[in-house]
Amino acid sequence: MRVELREITKRFGSFTANDSISLTVEPGQIHCLLGENGAGKSTLMNVVFGLLHPDHGEILLDGEPVRFANSGEAVRRGIGMVHQHFMLVPVFSVAENVVLGFEPTKSLNRLDHDKARREIRELSERYGLDVDPDAVVETLPVGIQQRVEILKALSHDARLLILDEPTAVLTPQEIDALMGIMRSLAAAGTSILFITHKLKEVRAVADVITVIRQGRVIDSVSPETSEPDLAALMVGRSVSLTVAKDAVEVGGSSLELRDVVVRDDRGLVAVDHVSLSVREGEIVALAGVQGNGQTELAEAIAGMRHVESGQIVLGGRDITNRSPREILDEGLGHVPEDRHRDGLVLSMSISDNLVLNTPRRAPFARRGTRQLSAVADNARDLVQRFDIRTTGIDASASSLSGGNQQKVIVARELSRPLVAFMASQPTRGLDVGSIEYVHRQIVAERNAGRGVLIISSELDEVLALGDRIAVMYAGRITGVVDSSTSREDIGLLMAGAGREH
Amino acid sequence: MSVALEASRVTTPHDRRTTTIGAIMIGLGLFIAVVFGLVVPSWAHSQLTFDPINTAVHAPWHLGALTVETRWTDTLLGLVAVALGVEVVLRHPRRAMSRFGATSILFLLALLLWASRTSGPATVNFVDLTAVLVGSSSLAMVLIYGSLSGVLCERAGVVNIAIEGQFIAGAFLGSMIESVTNNFWLATLAGALAGAFFGWILAFLALRYMSDQIIVGVVIVTLLAALSSYLNLQVLTPYPQFNLGNLAPNLAIPLLYKIPVLGPVLFNQTGFFYFAIVLIAVISFGLFRTRWGLRVRAVGEHPKAAESVGINVVATRYRNVIMGGAVAGIGGVSFMATQGQFQPGYTSGFGYIALAALIFGRWTPSGAVVASVLFGISSYLAGNLQGYSVPIPTEILGMFPYLITIAVVAGLIGRVRPPAADGVPYQRS
Amino acid sequence: MSTESITTAPRASWWRRLYTQSPTLLAGLAIALGIVVGAFVIIFTSPVVLRSWRHIFSSGGAILSALKITVDNVGAAYRAMFTGSVISPTLLWHSLTTGHGWTTTLTPLSETLTYATPLLIASIGVGIAFQTGIFNIGANGQAQMGGIGGAAVGSMIHVPMVIHLPLTLLAGILGGVLVGLVPGLLKAYTGAHEVIVTLMFNYVVAAFLIFSVLSTALQQPGQSNDISRTIDASAQLPPLFGVASGLRVSYGIFVAAAVIVFAWWFLERSSLGFEFRVTGQNPQAARASGISPRFIIIAVFCVSGGLAGLAGTVQMQSTTHYIDGGFLIGNAGIGFTAITVALLGRNKPVGIMWGALLFAALGVGGRAMQAATGIPLDLATIIQSFVVLLVATPVMITEIFRLRNVETQRIQLATQGWGS
Ligand SMILES: Nc1ncnc2c1ncn2[C@@H]1O[C@H](COP(=O)(O)OP(=O)(O)O)[C@@H](O)[C@H]1O
Ligand SMILES: [Mg+2]
Repeated sequence: MRVELREITKRFGSFTANDSISLTVEPGQIHCLLGENGAGKSTLMNVVFGLLHPDHGEILLDGEPVRFANSGEAVRRGIGMVHQHFMLVPVFSVAENVVLGFEPTKSLNRLDHDKARREIRELSERYGLDVDPDAVVETLPVGIQQRVEILKALSHDARLLILDEPTAVLTPQEIDALMGIMRSLAAAGTSILFITHKLKEVRAVADVITVIRQGRVIDSVSPETSEPDLAALMVGRSVSLTVAKDAVEVGGSSLELRDVVVRDDRGLVAVDHVSLSVREGEIVALAGVQGNGQTELAEAIAGMRHVESGQIVLGGRDITNRSPREILDEGLGHVPEDRHRDGLVLSMSISDNLVLNTPRRAPFARRGTRQLSAVADNARDLVQRFDIRTTGIDASASSLSGGNQQKVIVARELSRPLVAFMASQPTRGLDVGSIEYVHRQIVAERNAGRGVLIISSELDEVLALGDRIAVMYAGRITGVVDSSTSREDIGLLMAGAGREH
Repeated sequence: MSVALEASRVTTPHDRRTTTIGAIMIGLGLFIAVVFGLVVPSWAHSQLTFDPINTAVHAPWHLGALTVETRWTDTLLGLVAVALGVEVVLRHPRRAMSRFGATSILFLLALLLWASRTSGPATVNFVDLTAVLVGSSSLAMVLIYGSLSGVLCERAGVVNIAIEGQFIAGAFLGSMIESVTNNFWLATLAGALAGAFFGWILAFLALRYMSDQIIVGVVIVTLLAALSSYLNLQVLTPYPQFNLGNLAPNLAIPLLYKIPVLGPVLFNQTGFFYFAIVLIAVISFGLFRTRWGLRVRAVGEHPKAAESVGINVVATRYRNVIMGGAVAGIGGVSFMATQGQFQPGYTSGFGYIALAALIFGRWTPSGAVVASVLFGISSYLAGNLQGYSVPIPTEILGMFPYLITIAVVAGLIGRVRPPAADGVPYQRS
Repeated sequence: MSTESITTAPRASWWRRLYTQSPTLLAGLAIALGIVVGAFVIIFTSPVVLRSWRHIFSSGGAILSALKITVDNVGAAYRAMFTGSVISPTLLWHSLTTGHGWTTTLTPLSETLTYATPLLIASIGVGIAFQTGIFNIGANGQAQMGGIGGAAVGSMIHVPMVIHLPLTLLAGILGGVLVGLVPGLLKAYTGAHEVIVTLMFNYVVAAFLIFSVLSTALQQPGQSNDISRTIDASAQLPPLFGVASGLRVSYGIFVAAAVIVFAWWFLERSSLGFEFRVTGQNPQAARASGISPRFIIIAVFCVSGGLAGLAGTVQMQSTTHYIDGGFLIGNAGIGFTAITVALLGRNKPVGIMWGALLFAALGVGGRAMQAATGIPLDLATIIQSFVVLLVATPVMITEIFRLRNVETQRIQLATQGWGS
């Protein structure tokens, strides 16, 4: 199917997420949309899929203008979409999820489960995507859930397949397999819109690359374009992800994990006998595809998740299963993965957010009464030292850009006396300037002799920051290597090779 | 290619909780066995009768009365409770809650037997089982309407805490229409419309303006309580012909109604009772067997996913909340039709108890029915034990249904999982 | 004139200030709409008015006379409400000119303040819970228990006033804390949704109230009714202007004032209050910042329940000096009104103060209206419910009045779904 977008504009309130975007996908073409987090890629795809309505512009399928009232119509016109955040009902079976909205029925509107199952078996066979139609989705691992999502997208003879960052939850090997599927679909004439912000994948699979930045099309280029050039297009200036690091004398143990076992919300083992040691003056970067237990591990270290067995030691003191309060007081700095959920109170002021976890400490409070002048002094000082761009310390945290919000958290954590510093996905969704800044702060903390644990699913970040790199797969550490290890070898570890370790 | 995480289930908080429940049940059972059973003198006897209330109309077979020795009967009942508790502790059955419900009924039954024992303190020295079941059934019916209303709303992701208000609206309007037209069909229709209207108000404020569903629901109840009391004084008191309080006639099902005990309870009831049974079947079937149900549940669990396959989330929610309101409105009429004349405040929290029944029943129609029956029986017994002058003050007995409700929502009978998007506003961009 | 130019400037800025403070504007509009709705309720239920409209086509003047009858009836009701709760201009004029009859003149105001005092205290309790994301519908039960505690300590212990009065207040607080604590503990440890638990406790405490006033310990000796002993004079909150004044407004208003100051300090300045607000606005971030959610839940129920209990005992200590089976039951209840007041005042102490005065006036005026015109006092609750539905839906008000540029803030509880 030939898909043409003409001057699509989409606004959320006063914010323009898509600013007259035009692009064309030819039949059988794999068209990559490349852009940073927040560039507006998902918004554009949701417009194409009929989930959002454009404020302006039109969509043409095979030359015919269409307006979708809802995404059901888009599906009927041959569009399938794999969403960045899976659109699967966790308590439904695979079959129920795949047929939802287009259910085969018998008399009395009854669901025809047999027919649904048959359809799924057929689809599975046709595309080599093996799933059990009766399995309940929430019991499946993410990789399989994504297969369900792809099956669902393909189940209505999609002639345009939209894949919104499908690789974020996959290992390098799974990514290769996915790309194989994409190529064979394209060869059979399906048009594909593939979204990512990872340069390597784009160059491996794309026929055409369209780069989007801040809601606008910057350029359309061929896959031969070099990675640095693509990166420069994406972020607007040339970047280097390397951080200057001096050699620092490594000291004693700062944060140590011994045989830690942690379960996830569903009661499954998410962290499976993990041992890891972070020494003073070193950065250990924990790499791995999202969803392999890193989140649960970080939560356990911060005291927000029960440790079933094993031991966590901070600066020689056992902090296993202590409360978050006690662990903070013992000197753990923590930048949480989801900063809006765990790191900030968006409706509160910057100065309040800068004392969010120390409101009772001197000089911010005395005998149960907050000392607002001390809180304000602290805020002014940190805003200046950490270069937080804001209209004032009383502005709400929600008024800040993502990068500056992250700086607030980093400033708050680094301004406390620390024994060790842990940051999860510290630069996710940040602009390049902020990334560099945050990286420099992290390295400075290491240079000051603290142990630093970075948890990141961005391989580039891991390679740039880590003195040592630990790789996590399926809840285990599959290897600890030094920073000169090649991407390919780390990729193998991320896929679970070397589990015998 | 990818390897599933090895999964093994272990003791989760749920299991620990189940053990606690089992322990409570065992304690309760021992209490029954000792206090109501073993310490009772051996000469004490309790009498159970099975005669229908109205022997003139039916009861072709006279079953007579069953006289039992209080000590051993109550000891036996206590031991049954203990056994159920032991089973819960050891086997962690999925249906631990219904076993808990059974235990609480055993408790009340044992109390009743004990209170009515010969030479006991009682003024009534027999227990009419048929009367107990018939009396409970009308309360249970009202709760069934309420909790089915909750099922419809909450499965689509809207918390309808205004059930109590819809009861009031249905009872009020139902009473007026019935008194004027002498026609329960019209009264039911009016009650359904009144309930549906207030369902629509809730849906409108919650879906269009995304107001907090719980606040809106609670205020609707306050509004209707005040409005009905106001209208009662302004309209019903000066014109009593608008509030005659006719009871709905019983429609006996030929032959079946003659079955002892079960006949009067199940087959000699008002049309509202039979309609409730039909409704249970229809909603169960609709929700779990049909395309409509699959879509409703998708909307309640993951509205975005539903939207992404072209299901209109907001319209689905409107439809369900309005339907739920109508069902609760009919429940209000049924209350009026079995309890008589409308009075302000006479639904006394039944709407909220229906919500608890819904939670107890894990948001399924069948579970809600079981819970409603349990609540119905315990409410009835607690309300009527005073006739037996049990040495527990009436006021304390009156707390019983509310305390059970608290125990239920506290998840003492096992943790339950509501529809994932229940009560969460949905915004379409 | 020079004075005019001086007064216009501040007036404009006053208006702008009101206008830009959208909560105040929206609350004002909601109240106005509520009063209009109340008028329609009167019109549609008053036989005289309805009859007059039935004949509007019979003669030319009929429509005018129907209008007049309508306005007269609605006017009489609202006039009775106003003069019954604030002041009657004729009586005021009479007192001013003759210097007599001040008691009658000031009684409405005194009654409004008397009723507002416990309402204000309970509403602040509910508001603090709201700010923490907790919906305490159980204020009525907590207040009743406060009354029971106060009545017990006030009537059974006999010590000098300096000890007795604070002790009685404290007993009321403890009663409220006790009832609030159970839902708090259940929510903290089992996740039970506080809405149902606190609601059910209202029924439980209402039953316990009867039980307690019938118990030998508390029942008025020589009585078989559900009425408690009268508390000692040393435990009473005396009338502000002396018993001889005939005005019931008591020293309780100083307790209320102290509660306002405390609540302001607590929410705006105290560390615990800060943690409450953080929890209310982002429970996950609160937990990550080392704030224990369990501790906060239990603490907020103690504070909220304690204030409700204080409200109950203040009510008892300043008016009846005893409790009976009808204490805070039905129309006399303050729990639901406290919720509406808290929402109207946007959970801020000063806003709540205005809300409490307004709703107290509605309640007191409603009684006067019922006495004067026969229109049931429930009208006050109907108006209140409408006001709160509107306040909870600010966007709708801006749509009705076609307001642009007025910021609306949605009220959202942190606790969604049932969570149990
Ligand atoms: N529903 C929405 N309301 C307001 N802003 C939104 C909404 N959805 C996305 N945005 C904003 O639009 C921008 C683009 O988001 P998105 O399309 O998800 O980016 P990408 O997929 O490229 O990472 C972001 O700044 C995001 O915050
Ligand atoms: Mg995206």
